[in-house]
Amino acid sequence: MDQESGQLIIEILKEEGIDMVVTLPEEPTFSLTEAIRDDPYFTSLTVAAEGNGIALCAGAALGGRKVMFVTGIAGLMVGTWALGQAAMAYGIPFLIMASYRGDIGDHSGIPGSQLMLFKQVAKPLLSTLRVPFCVVDKKSDLQRAIRDANFAAHDYSSPVVLLLTGEVLW
Amino acid sequence: MNRLECLKELVTWIDANVPVVTSLSSNTAIWATLRQEGLNFYGLNMGLTVGFSVGLSFAFPNRKVVGLDSDGSFMVDSSALITMAEANPSNLMILVFDNESYQLMGPTATSRATDLEKMAQGAGIKNTATLRTLEEFIRVVKPAVKETGPHFFVVKVETGTVRLKSDARLTYSPFMKERFVDAVMKHPDYWGKKASGSF
Repeated sequence: MDQESGQLIIEILKEEGIDMVVTLPEEPTFSLTEAIRDDPYFTSLTVAAEGNGIALCAGAALGGRKVMFVTGIAGLMVGTWALGQAAMAYGIPFLIMASYRGDIGDHSGIPGSQLMLFKQVAKPLLSTLRVPFCVVDKKSDLQRAIRDANFAAHDYSSPVVLLLTGEVLW
Repeated sequence: MNRLECLKELVTWIDANVPVVTSLSSNTAIWATLRQEGLNFYGLNMGLTVGFSVGLSFAFPNRKVVGLDSDGSFMVDSSALITMAEANPSNLMILVFDNESYQLMGPTATSRATDLEKMAQGAGIKNTATLRTLEEFIRVVKPAVKETGPHFFVVKVETGTVRLKSDARLTYSPFMKERFVDAVMKHPDYWGKKASGSF
């Protein structure tokens, strides 16, 4: 993710009042999460595993915090148990921003078999868990997508995932 | 030591504004019997209590937040200890009721070599203890409710001595969550009053 996308996301998060960001650092979003960590506006937390990161976001969100989890497709797969509980069992509203690893355009050098796995699993996984999502691949769409996803999370009472790809990420 | 006796003590040490999170099964059944009103999130599924409690502690930074977990549930995601140590919420207390068993399905690893307190210490949590008697529980946990944490206590309890049945509508259903959210929004420290927008 380049600096322009990162700064744009930070500005929109502030406009939306999302002041808590949780992550397990991963390469495509590292510049974003580092910039957030350096910004005193945010409560920034690093977790040891995606499952407890999602559980953490669920607790913070139900306590009234506006919180976002930043991860990738592998992280969503690791966090499936917690995500399913947050989405289907309880309906807890918070944003998840996920790098859409394996999408066409990912030249990161990860073995193709892994990229293919991520590409094939990402959307079916979220659909199976009944987690609403949308794909954001243009910087010009970021503002509306984050605003709409934040609204939808509270309207649906559910986590909502933004899958970042295209010029937003690569 | 008996879990019910411990929780009967704990419930008298915390006020109505203290958020409490319970793992499913015995912790939920007992806590729902002892504390039916206030900020109670009952019945979290396996491996979620510590992470959820850490998150909740950031929504109520000026209140003690208590997480009641059990050995079987805790071990599903013991990496949450590292997250807890990293986040270092000074208002969080985790109590793992360790009966060294999966109820009727046999012993857990804590009945053999696994030491949950040492795991917490290894993760970087400084305030830890393993409590084996009710007297120890009272001596250590009661003051900790008022002290700076985070705290992580392993409470060794007997297996299967308390069989309470909780009202599933109040403890495991969407209605439980709605009651919790309602209590959050009425709480004097409700974060949403400070932040823009609605819950």
